[in-house]
Amino acid sequence: MIAAFGIRKYFNVKQSMLSNLMLKAVDGVDLKIRKGEIFGLVGESGSGKTTLGRILVGLLEPTEGDVLFDVDEDVTSRYENALLKGDKEELEALSKKYSIFKKRGNNRKILRRKMNIVFQDPYSSLDPRMRIIDIVKEPMIATDYLKGEAAEKRVLDLLEEVGLGKSFAQRYPHELSGGQRQRVAIARALATEPEFVVLDEPTSALDVSVQAQILNLLKKLKQERELTMLLITHNIAVVSYMADRVGVMYAGKLMEVGDKIQVLKNPKHPYTVSLISAVPQPKPRSIRQRIVLKGEPPNLIFLPRGCIFHPRCPFAFEECGWSTDEIVDDLSYLISSKYYESFGESVSIRTKDENTIIIENAKAELISEIVEKEKANLKSLTAIKKITQEVNYVEIKIHDFITPELYKLDDGRKVACLLFRAEEKNA
Amino acid sequence: MEKRMEAKEIEGLRLSLVIFFSNKTAVVGLMIFMAYVIDALLMQFAPSMLGVNNPNALAFDYSNTIPQPPSPEHILGTTYFGVDLLQAIMQAIRIDLGYSGLIVISGALIGALFGIISAYAGGWFDEILMRITDIFFGIPYLVLALGVGFALGRTIESMIIALIIVWWPLYERYTRSLTLSIKEQTFIEAAKASGVSDLKIMIKHIFPNTLPPVLVQISLDLGVVMAIFATLTFIGFLPTGNLPELGYLTSLGLNYIQIAPWATIFPGLAITIFALAVNLMGDGLRDVIDPRRRSS
Repeated sequence: MIAAFGIRKYFNVKQSMLSNLMLKAVDGVDLKIRKGEIFGLVGESGSGKTTLGRILVGLLEPTEGDVLFDVDEDVTSRYENALLKGDKEELEALSKKYSIFKKRGNNRKILRRKMNIVFQDPYSSLDPRMRIIDIVKEPMIATDYLKGEAAEKRVLDLLEEVGLGKSFAQRYPHELSGGQRQRVAIARALATEPEFVVLDEPTSALDVSVQAQILNLLKKLKQERELTMLLITHNIAVVSYMADRVGVMYAGKLMEVGDKIQVLKNPKHPYTVSLISAVPQPKPRSIRQRIVLKGEPPNLIFLPRGCIFHPRCPFAFEECGWSTDEIVDDLSYLISSKYYESFGESVSIRTKDENTIIIENAKAELISEIVEKEKANLKSLTAIKKITQEVNYVEIKIHDFITPELYKLDDGRKVACLLFRAEEKNA
Repeated sequence: MEKRMEAKEIEGLRLSLVIFFSNKTAVVGLMIFMAYVIDALLMQFAPSMLGVNNPNALAFDYSNTIPQPPSPEHILGTTYFGVDLLQAIMQAIRIDLGYSGLIVISGALIGALFGIISAYAGGWFDEILMRITDIFFGIPYLVLALGVGFALGRTIESMIIALIIVWWPLYERYTRSLTLSIKEQTFIEAAKASGVSDLKIMIKHIFPNTLPPVLVQISLDLGVVMAIFATLTFIGFLPTGNLPELGYLTSLGLNYIQIAPWATIFPGLAITIFALAVNLMGDGLRDVIDPRRRSS
């Protein structure tokens, strides 16, 4: 139905004339949404969900990657094979035919009929100077879908369908409540009988009582029209109510993709596990194990190497991508505060190269002892491979790292975590 | 159903009027402004009702050219060349109001056109247009108007063109800043997602949303432009010696300012009162269109 390959979206962050940094909002996402399915995309604020949604409806052009629309399994597997082989001609040909960013003129109008989006904030997504009838009519006129009387008649039908009634047609948005406005936005998104609709947090700006109404409306519309939907939200409850499949995003990458029940009931990726553990349970006395993550989401300009989640991961181990800087930070914390007594003033610690740390005026045995003791608390220390005593200093070598990909598990889900690398090999 | 809609709209309009009329000074401003407009309209369509034969020319009385004080015969007195001041001011209001309206509205239209396009397009186009307006802002407007006016020749048309050239950058800046904030709103993105072309977004979404604040700005600027227009004619920038124009009328009485102060005061007052009135009215209008002020 709709397939995204290797989507990257980098935004320029200008600091000065010379340095030009890139904010990596979406960093290499592959996504396939099947026909008639609701795909839930969850993740915390700033994880790139909305950016990805806007790319999928063609509001933003990705820095890299392509989105193919109206394609079947056959075409996507052809595209995947071509990507693997590096077959430029095949890629070009498929992209020319199916890419949403290569459609021009009349084809673009037809594409616009087939996809639309509902935004988060119903207060700013409707033009305050237009009547409801003109707002809902706009997509039909702009894409030459319907004109004049026919379009107006369809607006009235649509308003009835979203539960507003014909009397709303002549009103202005400021006369409507938040829930009513969101219904208008939904009517507008459905005006041209689209096949694919992106719902960008459609309920997060609404009261709880209205949220359920809107979700039920969306569910009803989906069943009646066999819509394909991408539901972007940070609310796990909304996803578990609405979605068929779920993708979990963290810092611009997909962490886990799978069927709703698999992902929500039996999460595999450590991030998903902690995310699900944070969902409140409607059982007052139940004791649940919450995993509270340390630290905060990574800086999107300087992403951690290896697995982007490793600095916060409770299950991180030596290959997850620890850098010497992270280890130096933790070691110097130990040396200068907790074990200050045993080291004293004169110890100095620094990074030599990507894999080597040097500590001057210290003993190798003492350091190994401390590392062994603190490994369980400070995960970065697990990445220390070898501690050797040289003449004047102690040299520490660290492990190589592996960047995880989405590993496919037996039950069909995909997880981007090294813990599951072996499972894929077995499968 | 239709009737209920109409009732609702009337309700909205009534609310706007209530807000406007609750501001007493704005009502005074509106009344003065209306008096000027009615005078101008009468001069245009029925000058004989006001006892004027030719609204485009001053009626000189060469039998007594020395300014006379106010009397039952000449309520505001006369000025040099024996011109009846009341009649002359009433003639002049038509000219001043008409031309300042023309200047402000054309300036606003040109400014809005470029402002919306430059803010919407952005990039180098925006940059170039902004630098051009910087040039206009860098030169004192009176000097610029004089320069352009003299370059084009000493006619009313050249004066109007000169003032439009001086005035449009102001509106360019203003609509540009409005557009910059409007184009970031989600309804513009929603229109794009619905396949609306950029041109249509500018015409149907951005322009109507910039309109109310621009209209307020127009009402505030009418007084300023009238004052500038009068300044230009005061320093002698006019094609004919018998044009009824407030600045020119003021300059006629200038030589007699010590013995006949009314000859300069009354035409000058006509400009000042108008500028004050449109300012008061504009403040009231701003309250009507600004929802944040509305609630308070």
